[in-house]
Amino acid sequence: MKTKIDYKEISKLIDLLEKRNLVQFELELEDFKIKISREHKKQKVKEAPILPDSAQSDRITDKKEIIEKTEDKSEDNNLHFITSPMVGTFYRSSDPSSDPFVEIGEKIKKNQTLCIIEAMKLMNEIESNVEGTIEDILVKNGNPVEYGQKLFSIKTR
Amino acid sequence: MFKKILIANRGEIALRIIRAAKELGIKTVAVFSEADRDSLHSILADEKICIGPAKASESYLNIPNIISAALITTAEAIHPGYGFLSENPRFPEICKQEGLIFLGPSASIMRVLGDKNRARQEMKKAKLPVLPGSDGIVEDIETAEKIAKKIGFPIILKATAGGGGKGMRIVRSLSNLEAQFNVAQNESNSAFGNPSLYIEKYIENGRHIEIQVIRDFNGHVLAFGERECSIQRKHQKILEETPSTFIDEKIRKKMIKSVETATEYINYHSLGTFEFLVDSKKNFYFMEANTRVQVEHPITEMAYGIDLIKEQIRIASGKDLHFSRDLDFIGHSIECRINAEDPDSFAPSPGKIDFLVFPGGEGIRIDSAAYQGWNIPPHYDSLIAKVISHAPTRKEAINKMKTALEMTTVVGVKTNIPLHLNILSNSNFLNGLYHTQFLENLLSQKVNE
Repeated sequence: MKTKIDYKEISKLIDLLEKRNLVQFELELEDFKIKISREHKKQKVKEAPILPDSAQSDRITDKKEIIEKTEDKSEDNNLHFITSPMVGTFYRSSDPSSDPFVEIGEKIKKNQTLCIIEAMKLMNEIESNVEGTIEDILVKNGNPVEYGQKLFSIKTR
Repeated sequence: MFKKILIANRGEIALRIIRAAKELGIKTVAVFSEADRDSLHSILADEKICIGPAKASESYLNIPNIISAALITTAEAIHPGYGFLSENPRFPEICKQEGLIFLGPSASIMRVLGDKNRARQEMKKAKLPVLPGSDGIVEDIETAEKIAKKIGFPIILKATAGGGGKGMRIVRSLSNLEAQFNVAQNESNSAFGNPSLYIEKYIENGRHIEIQVIRDFNGHVLAFGERECSIQRKHQKILEETPSTFIDEKIRKKMIKSVETATEYINYHSLGTFEFLVDSKKNFYFMEANTRVQVEHPITEMAYGIDLIKEQIRIASGKDLHFSRDLDFIGHSIECRINAEDPDSFAPSPGKIDFLVFPGGEGIRIDSAAYQGWNIPPHYDSLIAKVISHAPTRKEAINKMKTALEMTTVVGVKTNIPLHLNILSNSNFLNGLYHTQFLENLLSQKVNE
């Protein structure tokens, strides 16, 4: 059986990929093989290698590597860290008798208060800049924190 | 004595203070910006706290973060070093509010001396000679003209908020006055947010001579023999020596006495420096007072065999000054400031130090935070080392310095060592015949050649 596929159909497939937000499509028949892949927008800036036009044959494998990297990275990308914007003391609740603002495993919204950092007797509420689930709380209640120190890890997907 | 102090600075001065504290058995806390994670001061202190991003305004000038760092580490006192927050009166004020000891003078003294015009008026009252000039801020060009005619040209326009040569203009004739007055006002306003100017008589070919003083909180005061700091480029000191070849014993005693009297008059505490302009007839005039440790303090330490930083920490804890009044020079000392910069264009040369060898040997002291493999961050000043020589005579101290600099090897970044070697072999320098225009003249000669 001879498969006939024309430019129009390929273009349709590409559109579909884009519409469904798919990264890769592969179709293999007896005498025909097509592989279409798309880069993640985020990755494009950093990792997209500049390919010489003549390197068409290498192109597919190169792309595949990128995709694999993207997948690896996107796992990391799902983990977001809340860092301390100041030097001070970390508190999980508004006062010692109250419940902590958040617990591990809790779903949180953007702008939700996660903790307090006390600096020079001022209580600074630290809010989340993402939506997700608290994966870990990285500082013990009452411990000092420095600028840029990781406080929470949050799973964003 | 303190158990723990925080050093609100970076680079060689932070290391200098860490050393002094360690010798006194005091624990140290370093603060560092994200660009200084691998800098020596944060590696060598007992504790370290990141206080912000690379930009100094968000880290080394960030008062809340520095104070918080002291509080969470239970440091009792803060040493500001030089630059950054060292002359900002808000800093000692907030330290006091938070129960921390500031290793320096009080906020109120800092306010008086930080306002150059006010400092001039205060020193007049304290019987220190000041240059002829305006009695206060000169608001308009008419008043400026009147004063200029009275004291005679050349005159110098100075920003009362000034520092680092900004808002400063020398005027040699009436026809230039108006234009220069406006330029200086604008420059001062954009640099310090304050356009206020005052006027002084300008001394041609003067010498920049300064006197180190220390006064404890129980009223004991001691001033030291002069540091000669005339070798400058754009009001930035490059090479300093003590004693000066120009100052004789009679003038020295007079300067020391005047500074001690003025220090007591304004009730100054801690380390400080009074800067003077000395004319060719050896008349000295007060220019300004620096309310902090100076970059060039090591030459006084070497020439007197003392440790000023240790003493500054000791007296801040309430102890009496333990220096003897009989202290005197033991030999001659020179400091060369080694900057990571192009020796010809003076453009900063940050980057990685691939290879580094400092000289050693008797009579050579290196105050530096540089190490092989270190990446000099581009965010801060270009000083990478101070090489200090000490020997029984000036000639020996010069030869020691030359040998040391010739043996210093820095690969990866450019330094101003060639410029220093040029100065050290100049016949006017060797004969001690130089003034504040020396370096500009030397550099223009080089261009002409």
